[in-house]
Amino acid sequence: MTLRRAATILLLLMPGLGLILALIGAVVYIAVAQSFGLYSLMGESAFSLAFWSDTMGKKAFDKAVRYSIYVGVLSAIFSVILAYPLAIWLRKPFAGSVTIGAVLKAPLLVHGLVAAFLYINIISYNGLLNQVMQGLGIWDGPKRLQNDRNAIGVLILQTWKNMPFALLLLTGAVQAISDDVLDAARDLGAGSWARFRKVIAPLTVSGLQAAMVIIFIGALADFSFQTIAGPTNRQSLAQLMVNFKGRGDWHSAAVVGVSMMAIALIGSALLAVAARMIMRGRLK
Amino acid sequence: MGAIRISGVTKSFGEFQALSSISLEVAQGEFVTLLGPSGCGKTTLLKIISGFIEPTDGQIEIGGENVTRLPPEQRDTALCFQSYALFPHLTVRENLEFGLRQKKLGRDEIASRVRDVSTKLELAAQMDKLPNQLSGGQQQRVSLGRALVMRPSVILFDEPLSNLDAKLRDQVRIEIRRIQKDYDLTAIYVTHDQAEALAMSDRVVVLNQGRAEQIDTPERLYAAPATSFVADFIGSANVMEGTVLSADGAGLCTVETPIGVLEAKDAGVPPGAIRRLSWRPEKAQIGEPGLTATVTHRAFQGHFTDLTVDTGGTLYRVQTGRDDIREGDGITFALRPADIVFLEAVG
Repeated sequence: MTLRRAATILLLLMPGLGLILALIGAVVYIAVAQSFGLYSLMGESAFSLAFWSDTMGKKAFDKAVRYSIYVGVLSAIFSVILAYPLAIWLRKPFAGSVTIGAVLKAPLLVHGLVAAFLYINIISYNGLLNQVMQGLGIWDGPKRLQNDRNAIGVLILQTWKNMPFALLLLTGAVQAISDDVLDAARDLGAGSWARFRKVIAPLTVSGLQAAMVIIFIGALADFSFQTIAGPTNRQSLAQLMVNFKGRGDWHSAAVVGVSMMAIALIGSALLAVAARMIMRGRLK
Repeated sequence: MGAIRISGVTKSFGEFQALSSISLEVAQGEFVTLLGPSGCGKTTLLKIISGFIEPTDGQIEIGGENVTRLPPEQRDTALCFQSYALFPHLTVRENLEFGLRQKKLGRDEIASRVRDVSTKLELAAQMDKLPNQLSGGQQQRVSLGRALVMRPSVILFDEPLSNLDAKLRDQVRIEIRRIQKDYDLTAIYVTHDQAEALAMSDRVVVLNQGRAEQIDTPERLYAAPATSFVADFIGSANVMEGTVLSADGAGLCTVETPIGVLEAKDAGVPPGAIRRLSWRPEKAQIGEPGLTATVTHRAFQGHFTDLTVDTGGTLYRVQTGRDDIREGDGITFALRPADIVFLEAVG
């Protein structure tokens, strides 16, 4: 490629790609720079590793990293586990399938905060769930279900919110597999599980990877579900970042922000590789 | 006992009757073709035999076992798909091994069967390629090989040649027949191509609107079609109505037809009966006295010439080896009694 041609391509890409790179680059640059003490909003700016060393030494940071990864990974896994059978079920149109598909995708239209408040109302001490369980005689008295220690509420909300997105991606991928290919597998003796494992999974692995990575990144950086329904004894990375910022400690907030970006990047890559390895397993 | 016995199989999709009481017995090693136009029910019948569709009524037996309600994965059949249906993410070798691994055969057995089939189908050089790296003919062979390695009691073909070009189709057609004979496989083959059906089959089932019009050898289907549909679908017969006038008691009868009074072989049809008759275009004895006609269209076909002739206001097709007849020429032709076939009654 000649220099002139390379320059032409670069110029043509500039309006779109350039803008994206400039915006992302600026944010990343500022975050990284602030994490090293530069661009101080509250005082003097000077390069320092102190913010990294202080923040990473904090127990709260360590807990937030582990907690956010926990929520991110499990949300992604639960979402695709629920979405896969639904995508296979809805693969071929049948009476009512469009309505079912629309209902399943409805959570995409509900804002996360609204969903979290609704959920809290249902599981609260005097909420619907407690009333029903007591009414049925299953529970003797009301139970405290809000802000549980294992973040089950957050995981339920994340899965509820993200499953439709995984369903969208997986339905497209599953529908792209021809009937003949699945029939051929069946004709060659493959039952439902073998057809899923040896044909559907390997042929939909790209959709699965996309769904898992996007859900993981979103859930890893969760703030609203965690604030409303999350455990009170630990914070997510986003919550910790906002806490630092609230105290005027922008540099530590930047350390958490950069860590979150790095975890999102590495975690996504690991999830994508793991998904490919598991789902693309050849006939061994 | 036949390798396959189909007894009174009927299939309805709501109001639509796709198959009406089809019965057929296929012997071990026999090659039977289901032939008919689009929508006649041939693929539905094949899918019922393979287990992908459950019949509304009737029974399927394979090797003496009633498999009517068995799912495809539990039947001893293997299907070759029109689209080949190869697994796009697996190599040729893995495609061939797929069914054998489902059967949980030993590693040595799998390797031996795959080697045998890949050698026979000349696929040895393609074993590590993915399907999208193969030509149409090679993909077809992999599809066939994937079925053959299973050593099924019955092999089923769903229009396997329809995606191939004409030359390759002829070649693969011969290959399929050779392999079917080599392995002594019982085969059921679906096609809408009558030339393919005649060339390959031991017997042909001609289907029309879900009914079996005739089940017979290719030779008899051609020479003695049972209905005007079969006569017209197999080859291109001239079909007309005729009233039987008399029988001479010596094996011949006279029939009044739109082209004149003809002599035909006595088929036991009583005088006065109105029947459909057919005769093949190539059976017209052009130049012989008897019937007169004017040539309205001429199409040179290489080893013969196809003529459309006007006989008393009705158009018929005749074929001749002569190439000196032109459009507008008047010709005479005769039909031998043995070449006129009685079909179904009229009305």
